Amino acid sequence: MIKIEQLSVTYPNGTHALEEITLDIGAGEICGLVGVNGAGKSTLFKSILGFIKPTTGTISINGHNIKKTLRDNLIAYVPQSENVDWDFPVLVEDVVMMGRYGHMGIMRRPKDADKKAVTEALERVNLIDYRKRQIGALSGGQKKRVFVARALAQGAEIILLDEPFTGIDIKTEEALLHLFQDLAKDGKLILVSTHNLGSVPHFCDTVALINQRLIAYGPVEDIFTYENLSKAFGGMLRHHHMGGTDIHDDEDARSLSVVTDDEHPLVFYGEQGGQRIMRRRAKKQESPKHD
Amino acid sequence: MIDMLSDPFTYDYMRKALLVCAMIGGTCGFLSAFLMLKGWSLMGDALSHAIVPGVALSSILGLPYAIGAFFAGMLAALSMWLVKQKTKLREDVTIGLVFTTFFAIGLVMISISPVSVNLQAIILGNILSISDYDVSQISIICGICFAVLMFIKRDLTSIFFDETHAKSLGIAVTAHKIIFFSLLSAASVAALQAVGTCLVIATVITPGATAYLLCNRMERLIMLSVILGTLTSVAGAYASYFINAHPGGLIVLIQTAIFLLALLLAPGHGMIGKHKGRRT
Repeated sequence: MIKIEQLSVTYPNGTHALEEITLDIGAGEICGLVGVNGAGKSTLFKSILGFIKPTTGTISINGHNIKKTLRDNLIAYVPQSENVDWDFPVLVEDVVMMGRYGHMGIMRRPKDADKKAVTEALERVNLIDYRKRQIGALSGGQKKRVFVARALAQGAEIILLDEPFTGIDIKTEEALLHLFQDLAKDGKLILVSTHNLGSVPHFCDTVALINQRLIAYGPVEDIFTYENLSKAFGGMLRHHHMGGTDIHDDEDARSLSVVTDDEHPLVFYGEQGGQRIMRRRAKKQESPKHD
Repeated sequence: MIDMLSDPFTYDYMRKALLVCAMIGGTCGFLSAFLMLKGWSLMGDALSHAIVPGVALSSILGLPYAIGAFFAGMLAALSMWLVKQKTKLREDVTIGLVFTTFFAIGLVMISISPVSVNLQAIILGNILSISDYDVSQISIICGICFAVLMFIKRDLTSIFFDETHAKSLGIAVTAHKIIFFSLLSAASVAALQAVGTCLVIATVITPGATAYLLCNRMERLIMLSVILGTLTSVAGAYASYFINAHPGGLIVLIQTAIFLLALLLAPGHGMIGKHKGRRT
């Protein structure tokens, strides 16, 4: 669906933000975009949104260029919570209606189809009872869902989420993850930029590790290894390694690695430093073998 | 009693003043709904002072005020941008620096001008002795401002709320900002003649700030700002007839009085309403 080929972005001040990124992300995929601050995550987002012209390389979506895709309202952006003015005088339904602007005439007068789309989007994210609330009067998870609803009302097939879990508690995060998984099932492509390592194996199908260059891209199970993460994060990770003898008394050679930058720790467990990721999917409930 | 209350309407100059105040108050009220949302209020203040040299020059050359004001406003905005780019000084410093400089240029120009320019009329406004020429000029400015704002209000709202999203929808963000500030400087010129440079800023902030306390959606906030701006301006000019006070001063005081009332009584933001929980 999104096809990025040899994308490089160099800013006018000479900073190489992205170098030769090649990615091909399919519909129905939740892809985690993981990297340190300054790794080029937001530059990649801005390139996909058409705000930045690539220095070299191309981005195409379903074979069309970015301009056409934006004109068709197929790409939606969900902002970071801290970049939103929550005291702005808008109601929930007003924000979602803004997603319809691309479908309206120059005066942005809503038609029946627009009102219907707003109602449907609000129902989809379970906010229909809150449509007349001012956005600041919502909880953290509800606030995020307003913007997801805006993306849905827009008719977007590609949803870009910028650090969606900042300032959100675990339970709310869980609910949001289910929403994203449902949307992916409907064939939406969801691209999530995050440095929250622990939640990536939890809900992403694929992951792209970037640090100016693409370190690795593929299914989470294959890509999310300690080795790749070290490359992507350099010395920025906190890493706690517990050998077999540290955690149990028997001859078991398995060891436990906890890798974290700040939020959810990522846990590796198994032989040779633990290549296997312990998943804590809500549905499967895989519990660790040794406590 | 009725005779006394309708007394102002028997004078041509009062009828003109009330009409002009209504137009200016409404237009500035419209702008205030947006200006106060973004932390750009000081920018509005700067603009209203920065247009003084433009107005002075127009006055000396006998051109419409709006033309000079427009170029001075643009020049001021450009200077602020340049100073900010080159020095990394904070925005409030650049604004303070540039607008006082422009105001000073205006004062010097007026004082050394061979043609006599009424300094007091520019700084304090002079709504009661406004000429027919000025009335038509103000009508045109207000008419254009109002029409353009009606046309772009929804796009402006979406830009003010979430610039990134607006941009991704293909809304021309920079163009809209330029249009907004052009309208602001044009409205400042019009308002300058009613309340003077020093008080222009109040007319483009206070109605919006008051409405903000009372509304939680933009459409209504705009409507209320326009109504408040219009009514307070008319009331100020009207009251000035009876107590023989400066109309500009009265307009701003009435606006502030209503703001304080809203602050006290508003359902969500007000000092009383706050204890009853958040607005819904």
